[in-house]
Amino acid sequence: MDFSRDWIGQYVELPAVDELAAGLTEVGLTVEGSTESDGDVLLDVDVTTNRPDCMCHLGLAREVAVRFDKMLRVPSIQLAEVNEPAADAVEVALADGGGCPRYVARVVRGVKVGPSPGWLRTALESIGQRSINNIVDITNFVLWESGQPVHAFDLAKIEGAEIVVRRAEEGEKLTTLDGEERRLDPEILVIADAARAVALAGIMGGLDSEVGERTTDVLIECAHFDPTVVRKGAGRLAMHTDASHRFERGADPEAPKWAAARVAGLIAEMAGGEILAGAVDQRSEHYPAPLAGRLDLGRLEAFGGVEIPREEVVRILTGLGFELAPDGESAWQVAVPSWRYHDMKFTRADGAVYEADLFEEALRHVGFENIPSALPPVEKPDSGSSAPHEQRQRIRSYLAACGLAETINYAFHAAADDGSFGIWAEGEPIRVANPLSELYDVMRRSLLVGLVDSAWFNIRRGAEAVRLFESGHLFPAAGAPELETVGLVMGGARGMPWQRRTELDLFDLKGCVEGLAAHFGVSVEARVADPPGVVAGTGATVHVAGRLEVVGWMGRLELDTPYPVFGAELEVGALAEGERFSTVSAPSRHPAVAVDLTLTHAADLPWREIESAITSAGVENLTSFGLKDRYEGEGVPSGAVNTTIYFVYNAEDRSLTQDEVNSRQRALTEKLEARFGWRQA
Amino acid sequence: MAGGGTPDSVGDLARERERFEREAAEVSSRDAWEALRLRWVGRKQGVVRALLAAIKEVPVEQKREYGQVVNLLKRRVESRLEELEGELERAERQAAIGAAAVDVTLPGRRPALGSLHPVSIVTQEIVEIFSAMGYSVAEGPEVEEDYYNFQALNFPPDHPARDTQDTFFVEGGKLLRTHTSPVQVRTMLEREEPPIRVICPGRAYRFDNDLRHSPMFHQVECLVVDKGITLGHLKGTLEAFVRKLFRPETGVRLRPSYFPFTEPSAEVDITCPFCSGDGCRTCSDTGWMEILGSGMVDPRVLAECGFDPEIYSGFAFGLGLDRVAMIRFDIPNIRVLFENDERLLRQVRG
Ligand SMILES: [Zn+2]
Repeated sequence: MDFSRDWIGQYVELPAVDELAAGLTEVGLTVEGSTESDGDVLLDVDVTTNRPDCMCHLGLAREVAVRFDKMLRVPSIQLAEVNEPAADAVEVALADGGGCPRYVARVVRGVKVGPSPGWLRTALESIGQRSINNIVDITNFVLWESGQPVHAFDLAKIEGAEIVVRRAEEGEKLTTLDGEERRLDPEILVIADAARAVALAGIMGGLDSEVGERTTDVLIECAHFDPTVVRKGAGRLAMHTDASHRFERGADPEAPKWAAARVAGLIAEMAGGEILAGAVDQRSEHYPAPLAGRLDLGRLEAFGGVEIPREEVVRILTGLGFELAPDGESAWQVAVPSWRYHDMKFTRADGAVYEADLFEEALRHVGFENIPSALPPVEKPDSGSSAPHEQRQRIRSYLAACGLAETINYAFHAAADDGSFGIWAEGEPIRVANPLSELYDVMRRSLLVGLVDSAWFNIRRGAEAVRLFESGHLFPAAGAPELETVGLVMGGARGMPWQRRTELDLFDLKGCVEGLAAHFGVSVEARVADPPGVVAGTGATVHVAGRLEVVGWMGRLELDTPYPVFGAELEVGALAEGERFSTVSAPSRHPAVAVDLTLTHAADLPWREIESAITSAGVENLTSFGLKDRYEGEGVPSGAVNTTIYFVYNAEDRSLTQDEVNSRQRALTEKLEARFGWRQA
Repeated sequence: MAGGGTPDSVGDLARERERFEREAAEVSSRDAWEALRLRWVGRKQGVVRALLAAIKEVPVEQKREYGQVVNLLKRRVESRLEELEGELERAERQAAIGAAAVDVTLPGRRPALGSLHPVSIVTQEIVEIFSAMGYSVAEGPEVEEDYYNFQALNFPPDHPARDTQDTFFVEGGKLLRTHTSPVQVRTMLEREEPPIRVICPGRAYRFDNDLRHSPMFHQVECLVVDKGITLGHLKGTLEAFVRKLFRPETGVRLRPSYFPFTEPSAEVDITCPFCSGDGCRTCSDTGWMEILGSGMVDPRVLAECGFDPEIYSGFAFGLGLDRVAMIRFDIPNIRVLFENDERLLRQVRG
């Protein structure tokens, strides 16, 4: 929001502009930039939503006065009023006292509408406001001076000289100052006369009743409107004005009276006319009650971690408009200025303002830069567990060590992609009610949707191989708990021939999944299945060995990619079941004997059957075995495959003889040949 | 005299010596060397031995000179054989080395390691900094209830501060959390009593999509609640933290600001990591860079979460991890972070 340095300077003595900007920033009114123009300086101040009182030049001047220990000069008002009371000229009724806790009206008769004097035009133009005529300019000036929105009506256009603040009727119409015809409803608070709505309360005046060249009698409106009511009404009409911006953030309920007098005085000065006596000042039962709280210097110092002289606290708070009455040795009862009511209205249960509200005021003017730094004492570590984070970190490190690059994808994607992969969906997906676009309108139920996007991104840029993973949350269904999984995609050929090129296949991927599980002390196995998005005959579900529950899936993905791409996804919860710490067993000190066996068997015989036949044979001193190689082609009957298995024999207490090993292996080989060996059909 | 005939004079010895030199010059292998040795100094049929034996037949007046010349020849043969043997060994060694020689400037085969995402790396660094200070990691759901995301954090319904949060709503009344602060609320509600010292890393969502904002982003929040926690503690912790995360000489500046859930609140600037505070394009010549929001936990939030603000106080701060990752890895815009281009990801070192 832009403010004029010279305008602020009307109310307080100012330091050099750099110092001024730094000072405002230090008290919480960050000056984001300054521009010189015609000798003045325009300050771009970031006024936070809780400080509507600083959305005006007087409000900023107050902060400057405290920050630089100067006097604040609030303009004094001396009105020459005529005898006729304003109350005879206009009647005000608060039909919606909740929407309008206070309405102050003043009347000036016999004005001459015309151009504004130079100083007024300069002031408004300095902050980018357009000069319209002297009356309208004065209302605008007072808004930017005091923060109180002001509206001036042509009194002659107010039917029955009567103001009613009420909700609009359904379908009621009003053409606003900007020339737009608005269709209203009861959500919207309006200012009405005896016949119809004449203004949108707290937002914008009506075109019919605006002050124009022929206006002679002016009705000045300075009201206090409820923030929520204005916010809802403005939202309904998609309008945002200087007035609504301030009312939505909570205006000063005491300001209307001062501002109405200020406007009346300026009108009389610049446009002539007679100010009727007094103001019509209506308050509803919703008028905010005064706020107060107790401030204890010792507690303030303990909260800030800083020592503050007693008189400095008094100077700061008094300067900011708080009223302090001593309450004990070094404590005060503090009355809150009306322009801070809204900010501090959520009080303690006993109605007192929270002391932190007062601490904040003192501390920001003591200056955060003057608060000594310290580390909080640590008597014992926090009682929570970081286990899920630590597990995730080990998963990431392991998969990176496997050669995969970690990705991060959006957790939402196009509804059309829902169900393309994954096994955890339950019913309908969670839909984003206000998505960025239809590309991002459902929450993911498989990490593979994003990973496949990423794979495509790389393939389209010529990647000869993709190896990616992601860990993240899935959203299986509305109301269902979020599920954390890790997803992998792999495909293509890795490395130049010099680097010993590897064609990545399903077993490279499966190895990562098995290895990951083993890294956590968990053994997993794949069972033939047909998960979504997987080429028939290549799919599997993943299980913790020997268990029924499905904890993941894998397979060759059904994609139109230039090379096969494989994918897998695993619930990370399955990894939490293993032993966190691994133990080891010392290898035998006696030499081991290795033997190979090549078994020709039907190509559709699963390895798992051979594996479990060997295991269940219970061969003495067989310490390990595994797949050495697979071969089909020349020399192997069609429909069959050669599987070479390595066996390692070793004894704990002695060296095995070749004869012992041979006889055991012979018996095992006979068993395997008998059960699995290839017989020509 | 040629061949094995008996020399009859010193002149014949000179010819024998020339013959030896010719034969020696032709030796190029161990076998040839061995043949030469046998032929000249072999015990049985060596030429030198035969010449020595032949002295009997030399006329008396020549015997003395003949004997001296034969001995000279013998020494010459022996030293030349020794020399030749050394040459042969060197040649053999050279030959052996030649067979194993490689071009050591060829590229090595690097293990095919993968990489961690930049955001993961900075997250872990931050977790480690705080773990060392006794903090634990707290987590929570990403589809969140209004209560935890807003109400308990002192954002009443229809509060203008909600406008700044650009919320994604999901069907059924919940929303995508707009920050990781709801995890603070959940942690406080779960805990019977302080001290609480947690950090909450995670994804958050806001309706925003441009070069600086992504609709999904990452945050880490820190929460400390205990008796006697001060604004000075917040400042000290922030300084210790950013000096570990960036450079030890990093300057820290707190500017009073406003967040509904902290009071007082402060925006935190650090001296620009690109220019060390001298001013550059990235920091718009200010020398400062705004990186996080912080403050003392608002008493309304403490009270809502069951802690009496008269007894307990606390501080909290939140930091955008994507921003830190972009600074750390010099990533030009936030979209690059989520494109997942392997060519970029694989350059990242932890
Ligand atoms: Zn810089």
